[in-house]
Amino acid sequence: MKVDLAEAAALLNLEAMLLDEQDWDGWLALYEENAEFWMPAWKSETEPTADPMKELSMIYYASRSGLEDRVQRIRSGRSVASTPLRRTAHMVGNVILMPDDGSGLASVKSSFNVHVYDTRAKTQHVFFGRTTHRLARRKEGLGIRAKKVILANDCIPTMLDIYCV
Amino acid sequence: MPTPPEKKTARPDLAYIERLIDDRPADGWFSVHRDAFRDPAVFELEMRHIFEATWNFVGLDSQLPNPNDYLTTTIGRAPVVVMRDAEGRLGCFLNSCRHKGAIVFAANAGNGAHHSCPYHGWTYDTGGRCIAITSQRQGSYSPAFDAMEHNLARVAKFDSYRGLLFASLSADVPPLDEYLGDARRGIDLVVDQGPDGIELVPGAVSFTYNANWKFQLENSSDTYHFIPTHTSYIGVLEKRRTARAAASSSTTAGSIYEDIGAQAASRRGSFAFPHGHVLMWGDNPAVEARPLYPMLPELEKRVGKTLAKWMMYVRNLTLFPNVQFAENASMQLRIIRPLAVDRTEMLAYCVAPKGESAQARIKRLRQYEDFFNPTGFATPDDTSAYEACQRGDEAHTLDWQQGYARGIGAMKAGGNTEADELGIKPDYSSVGGYRMGDETIFHANYRAWLELLKRGIARS
Ligand code: FES
Ligand SMILES: [Fe+2]
Repeated sequence: MKVDLAEAAALLNLEAMLLDEQDWDGWLALYEENAEFWMPAWKSETEPTADPMKELSMIYYASRSGLEDRVQRIRSGRSVASTPLRRTAHMVGNVILMPDDGSGLASVKSSFNVHVYDTRAKTQHVFFGRTTHRLARRKEGLGIRAKKVILANDCIPTMLDIYCV
Repeated sequence: MPTPPEKKTARPDLAYIERLIDDRPADGWFSVHRDAFRDPAVFELEMRHIFEATWNFVGLDSQLPNPNDYLTTTIGRAPVVVMRDAEGRLGCFLNSCRHKGAIVFAANAGNGAHHSCPYHGWTYDTGGRCIAITSQRQGSYSPAFDAMEHNLARVAKFDSYRGLLFASLSADVPPLDEYLGDARRGIDLVVDQGPDGIELVPGAVSFTYNANWKFQLENSSDTYHFIPTHTSYIGVLEKRRTARAAASSSTTAGSIYEDIGAQAASRRGSFAFPHGHVLMWGDNPAVEARPLYPMLPELEKRVGKTLAKWMMYVRNLTLFPNVQFAENASMQLRIIRPLAVDRTEMLAYCVAPKGESAQARIKRLRQYEDFFNPTGFATPDDTSAYEACQRGDEAHTLDWQQGYARGIGAMKAGGNTEADELGIKPDYSSVGGYRMGDETIFHANYRAWLELLKRGIARS
């Protein structure tokens, strides 16, 4: 699929901005209905899990409905971990367009730092790692068909929600 | 050897520790003083006299299938390594070089016959023997050094029950079987789920929270918090259930809590054993949601109808002080590692019967990730609640918790019909409706806690 780097990077930046602005509907709209969201766990110091059907993941959703569930929880006002929400600033960089693999999707790799501030404890944390987005062309522009997040610092301080990576 | 100068640090005395528990069965009252959760001096005593003085869970033998396999963990503050030697014998040692103390085994787990210390290169084998001291001949050592033993220090006690490995830094502990007592039946209900036992699913998740370790210790047995704390998770499950009913298929896993009304109409009970172990149970009405459910006919044949029924129950087992098996639909093994009075690290694994079907494994994984992960829908609300407690307990003008009173009217010395089904004789038991939210189960944790602290203080 033909995508140029600037277009792909713009989508990644937009996703980051929508999460930081907590525009959940705008964020969900970037995802295709059958979008897979996957954040593997780690098997050892060097190796993340490779098969979400046989090994543990930090997060695995086979479709966007899993992301919608997260948003429902965030909005419910009934999750102590989400009330008040942490404030975040996503920094996305090193965006690289991978060679076209003929799948009809574009693969884009990037790195992230997400600064997360807990207003209750007045503490902050940085989650960081690498992301691979698989993008599809739709009439309203590029959409996300799959997102895989390799979280480098996987000892989670209290919580990590979908908006923290 | 010269005697080191006596330490002049102020340590809480016996009277201070005894005043932390208000245990008056005749008055129908039990409480824990808030200082137990917020006083750093109490934490120091817990490390020395509880974690470093009794049996701790250190791993599963299935984590070390081959000769020269090892894993590293901690007992209290002490780093330890559990390993299988070249002949296949398991051992547990302090993971600290005899030369100047460096950690010898740096990885979480691995395999190798020889392990060199990263600092000056002393080398150990998997039996803990020091097999090489770098440039020993040229070292101009004194005969006093040569007369010394340089092997890794073995922990004082090391034993296993049904593949669960336990170690103690103190030799003064009851034999493991006696220590675990009838809580062993709770372990059997886990281990016997597969015809060939259980395994850890690849991929471990660790997390920290800024609160005392005993909030986690209690929460595993706390049925009372489930609905208030996990309302948002229950809401998500309700939505999924509706969606599943509307469509004929669904990509999301079921949960025993999808019909929270049915759960709330079921019973919950608890057994308390000597040495602080407890088992919370619930007669789960949603057995089909369990990944184990397809194995039910095999289970009934192998372990009998009664035990198979118990395997389908909700069961949370705490083996005092550092390990819990939490089983609602999927199953979690949790290892509690206290870091400071107000900070705790948890290491968690997804546990599964060996040889379950691919479909059941997927269901188990998705349920586990949803419920148990710190990146999921439920655990973050638990840990955030512990943190709220820790901050709230900074109200130092308040002394006593009121969180150990529910169920006192329903508790009974010894066992009950359910205990008879398992063939166990607990110290006491309780059973009631879901909404009873029993809190008597914690009394046993704190009685063992106090006993160990008192014993340790009396000796030091
Ligand atoms: S500390 Fe291990 S060899 Fe020196
Ligand atoms: Fe909970």
